[in-house]
Amino acid sequence: MTSIDVRDLTKDHGGRRAVDHLTFRVRPGRVTGFLGPNGAGKSTTLRLVLGLDRPTAGTATIGGHPYPRLGEPLRRVGALLDAGAAHGSRTARDHLLALAASNRIPARRVDTVLEETGLAPVARRRVRTYSLGMRQRLGIAAALLGDPEVVLLDEPANGLDPEGIVWIRTLLRRLAAEGRTVLVSSHLMGETAAFADHLLILGRGRLLADTPVREFIHARVRPHVRVRTTDPAALADLLARHGHDASRDEDGTWTVRHARVDDLGRLMSEAGVPVLELSAHEATLEEAYLDLTAAEAEFTAQPQGA
Amino acid sequence: MSFVPALHAEWIKIRTLRPLLGALAAVLVATAAFSALAAADTGDADPLFSVFFGVNFGQIAAIAFGTTAVASEFRGGALRLTLSAVPDRGRWFAAKTTAIALPALAVGLLTGFVTLLVGRAVLGASAPGWAEGVRGAVGCGLHLTLMTLFAAGLAAVLRSAVATLSVLIPFLLIVSFVVGDLSGGAADFLPDRAGQVALHSTWDGTLGPWSGLAVTALWTASALVAGGWSVRRRDA
Repeated sequence: MTSIDVRDLTKDHGGRRAVDHLTFRVRPGRVTGFLGPNGAGKSTTLRLVLGLDRPTAGTATIGGHPYPRLGEPLRRVGALLDAGAAHGSRTARDHLLALAASNRIPARRVDTVLEETGLAPVARRRVRTYSLGMRQRLGIAAALLGDPEVVLLDEPANGLDPEGIVWIRTLLRRLAAEGRTVLVSSHLMGETAAFADHLLILGRGRLLADTPVREFIHARVRPHVRVRTTDPAALADLLARHGHDASRDEDGTWTVRHARVDDLGRLMSEAGVPVLELSAHEATLEEAYLDLTAAEAEFTAQPQGA
Repeated sequence: MSFVPALHAEWIKIRTLRPLLGALAAVLVATAAFSALAAADTGDADPLFSVFFGVNFGQIAAIAFGTTAVASEFRGGALRLTLSAVPDRGRWFAAKTTAIALPALAVGLLTGFVTLLVGRAVLGASAPGWAEGVRGAVGCGLHLTLMTLFAAGLAAVLRSAVATLSVLIPFLLIVSFVVGDLSGGAADFLPDRAGQVALHSTWDGTLGPWSGLAVTALWTASALVAGGWSVRRRDA
């Protein structure tokens, strides 16, 4: 199977270090989410992997070979980098036909991927008439053209409508289930949590985490329980007696950390404390991510005034 | 990976872009039409050049073709997609250049012969002879092809259609119509002046028809080498 191996990869852009000694491996059979704030170096890393930019130091290989060494690379690796890559005056079908010809991919694959991405009915229209979501689908069609075992997508959900987002999620899951190596960059946490098995997190060009999604969330954010009551004094007393770590928010909602709904419900019932709301709060990738990147975010807002 | 698939892809890109086909058509129409107009109003001008005077306008369409065909790769990340399909940049640029050169040469030669026929019809008895005329028609085809590729090379260096055309068009207009008429010597060696010697019955400079085209070919080769070097060296 084909892995992507990045070793000590470094790229300077005119004095600014865009990618800083990155080392990781992207394995087949799962979706790897590539997360990081804008400017963290995700797109630069993808360009380095594809041999489009020259690294300042380090190597990136696919299946053990540098990308430019792959013969007919579209048959091995498919990539979406820019949704604007197709010329506005060309039809989607012609755009894909030219791309297919360069790697001797049969023309019927063009029709297959147009069908697969839902563009078949508009395939003979000029790309200029497409919405951003349709251009995004065309970029994904181009990535799938050579039926590649490695798929790299930079922000594929950009501009997609809700139906498109469900579609891309299903597509990514399927590609991984077929044993392909799938690397998807995004800055959308909810989306990434919905499709990724594994995470690579970048901040200022450095690797901050290389970990399965579940483990990442559980290691960073503890689950908690939300409680609302008409009798705050009784609740505070009850929680204190049982040693719960709780705090009251401004809107009167209590947050009880390290607790379970089952336990709290029983306690409040036995103590006769009225319950307006009792809900478990699952930790989200967003919370875990913010916890990790709080110190790392490049564009942290500066305090205003003196 | 061989050259032919890359050339095939680049040819599809040219044939599927209407503005490019329009520019090729304009090479023929502008050259033939302006030549016919000039021929109808000729005084004691060079007999062959009164037939091919329209090349001054046709070559603007030719550089628009060469520029647009290359510059379309430098927008919206198109080049990144192209080079992810053909990572050997030298091979890609050679394929792009060939895919531009072949239709430019075909249209250029067609333009040369159509212009010759039109010019002879307009001029009647004072028309240049066939031998001289055919030399002019072939020279016209070669000159237009070389100017197309000169623009293509420059566009690969400048990475922008606007930048390339705003260098080339003032250059051609000013050099052709102002500097070119005033001075001999060095101006004769400028790319469009040198190539156009092949479109004259007589010449008094150091360059003849074929040596003039060779000088233009040197300019074109330099532009293409610089373009290829820029494509190979820079991050896509």
